[in-house]
Amino acid sequence: MKKIDSLYIVDDDPITVFGIRKMLKPVVDCDDIQVFENGKTAIEAIKTRNGQGRPVPNIIFLDINMPIMDGWDFLEEFGMLEFKEKAIINIITSSIDPSDYQRWSDLKSIFPHHLNFKNKPICKIDDSDLELKNVSQER
Amino acid sequence: MKAAQTITPDYLLKQLPKATALVNRKQLLAGASDSWLNLFGKGKKSMIGQDVKTLFASHEQIDLNALDNLLCNGESGFLRHKTTMDNTTRWFQSTFSPWFDDKENVLGTIIQTDDITEHVETRHELDRIKTLFKEKSEVARVGCWEYDIATEELFWCEETKKIHEVSPGYIPNVNEGINYYKKGYSRNKISMLFHKALEEGKAFSERLEILTSKGNEKWVKASGKPIVQDGSVVKLFGTFQDIHEQVMLEIKREENERLLTTLINNIPLNVFVKDKDSRKTLVNKSECDYLEKSQEDLIGKDDFDLYDAKAAQISREEDLEVMRTLKPLIGKETISIKKDGRTTNFLTSKIPLLDLEGNVNGLIGISMDITSLKKKEDQLRNLINVTAVQNKKLINFAHIVSHNLRSHSANFSMLLNFLEQEDNESEKKHLLKMLAQASDNLMLTLEDLNEVVTINTNVNLQKKLLNLNEVVDKVLQDLSTMLKKNRVEIINTVPKNKKVLSVPSYLESILLNLITNAIKYRDPERNPIIKIRAAKEKDKTLVQISDNGLGIDLKKHGRKVFGMYKTFHDKKDAKGLGLYIIKNQIEGMGGAITVQSEEGVGTTFNIYFNEENR
Repeated sequence: MKKIDSLYIVDDDPITVFGIRKMLKPVVDCDDIQVFENGKTAIEAIKTRNGQGRPVPNIIFLDINMPIMDGWDFLEEFGMLEFKEKAIINIITSSIDPSDYQRWSDLKSIFPHHLNFKNKPICKIDDSDLELKNVSQER
Repeated sequence: MKAAQTITPDYLLKQLPKATALVNRKQLLAGASDSWLNLFGKGKKSMIGQDVKTLFASHEQIDLNALDNLLCNGESGFLRHKTTMDNTTRWFQSTFSPWFDDKENVLGTIIQTDDITEHVETRHELDRIKTLFKEKSEVARVGCWEYDIATEELFWCEETKKIHEVSPGYIPNVNEGINYYKKGYSRNKISMLFHKALEEGKAFSERLEILTSKGNEKWVKASGKPIVQDGSVVKLFGTFQDIHEQVMLEIKREENERLLTTLINNIPLNVFVKDKDSRKTLVNKSECDYLEKSQEDLIGKDDFDLYDAKAAQISREEDLEVMRTLKPLIGKETISIKKDGRTTNFLTSKIPLLDLEGNVNGLIGISMDITSLKKKEDQLRNLINVTAVQNKKLINFAHIVSHNLRSHSANFSMLLNFLEQEDNESEKKHLLKMLAQASDNLMLTLEDLNEVVTINTNVNLQKKLLNLNEVVDKVLQDLSTMLKKNRVEIINTVPKNKKVLSVPSYLESILLNLITNAIKYRDPERNPIIKIRAAKEKDKTLVQISDNGLGIDLKKHGRKVFGMYKTFHDKKDAKGLGLYIIKNQIEGMGGAITVQSEEGVGTTFNIYFNEENR
């Protein structure tokens, strides 16, 4: 059981949200799990946090294809915000378009937070989805 | 009378009209007629008593030895000599005979000199003509023949025999002569002509074929002419000429000419020859057909007479360039515009034409009508463009399909995985409910995709000329409740009889979607106003629908406005399919749709309908 302060799920598909929540239950102890239907509502909540001087959510599960503001546009705005801490962002997509994977691998090295790329279906939450240890050693 | 009796012999001699001289045995001139003295020494008296040989020596071509013999031996004989005085040559013949006294003693020699110039010249001319004739007949291969009716003898000259390839000793007769002609036309003809010449005195000249004694075929020209005496034909004579090579060349030339004419006239290319001033001097059938004029009408015409002035000027400049540089213009794509404006695409070549001295005196033009090829090429290019666009769409659609289907299948897979590991019965029920939900979602997605596929496959839907206002009214009628509820003001400025070419159901769908969108994305701060107007723009009809709604940030979303499942506002009923579908419908009809928008101001959609049915 890993203790996590704050966790966001950004996905417009209720089934995926249900699945992520279900998989998190046995491995994560978190009192603050928030779900957003698109990038816009999520980024607004994060901006509010930032404005209040609260820390960045530790973990974000992010869908790419969403209405109004998609995952990439969300990341673009998120990347501009100043946070002391580093978040782990798990991109979860059903897209098998190679251009999405390429975009992730291009963005990963310059993005201020840690970016994971996971293809649906996901059946369990990996340790690396929740912990930063490898990255922190590298840096 | 007395005087006549006493006349001296010397004086008598002096007056003789024929040039006569007496020479004594010492070979000295004893006396001479004035005319003789004139011939040798301009009539000087002092010549009497001089040596005759010296006098003769003043003439040319005199055989002095022979003269000596004649004078010494008192023999009879003659000598020829000539003299040139005042640039004229005169020939003489001097006859020598012994001079006797009354007792038959030889006193000397009597010389009589005649002027034979005319005789000699005639003789020379005859020799010359004979030689010339012989040479000529050899060179020209003209022989002659002669037939004597009385003796029935046929004479062939050397050349005639040569042409027949018989030996010089060959003696022909009429039958054999005729049988040398080729059986059939030639032989029949010569028999008839020969007969007519004999019977009716008719001359003939005919080109016929013979078979020589060696079996060679030859073309000859046989001519005959009767010699008539006392009203009846006594002889036939004529020429016989070997014209084989000439005829063969003529046949060859004729064949070549026919080949060339056939080729030029039947080749499916326009062929023309122009002189230095670009006037046509030869045109073939294709060129006549193309210009819809007869050959006679085209000869002598230049491009300015036949084509539009601009096109003619271009052509003339090409002509001049080709004739100046002597470099052929090969396979240039040209456009020719007739006076009536009809255009034809040609692949034109122009080749400088040189005369025998190598000076340019015109050009040969060959052009191929590639109008239909050009059209096909354009069609093909169009098709490639259409295909490329469709291909892009297809790839795009394939992505959408794979993505949308994949997300559902991922959900199934995840839920099934949970179900497998779940022991709790109530949780299992929950999972099954979720699976049912996932299945419904998949069905909905498939329906959406099917709608898109239908648009893209129904390319054969008939476009009709529709009254735009009627359709607008119908859509507004359908939406009346929604319009009333949201207090929408519609400003329709479409002209009463404005028509657009569209598939009826598409036009309805387009208007319905755009108007619905305008209401959906209205600005809650103000009453919605929707303006509908139509205008003609180039060869298209523009229908414009603008609202005063929320607007879209096109800088951010412009690329995705018409994408599938893209929505930009937080509206529950937004599926993100409407614009994607109408874009497909509009493009399917060969039209286009564009958008202008400003956040907080409003959005304008421009739909362009093609006016042509394609």
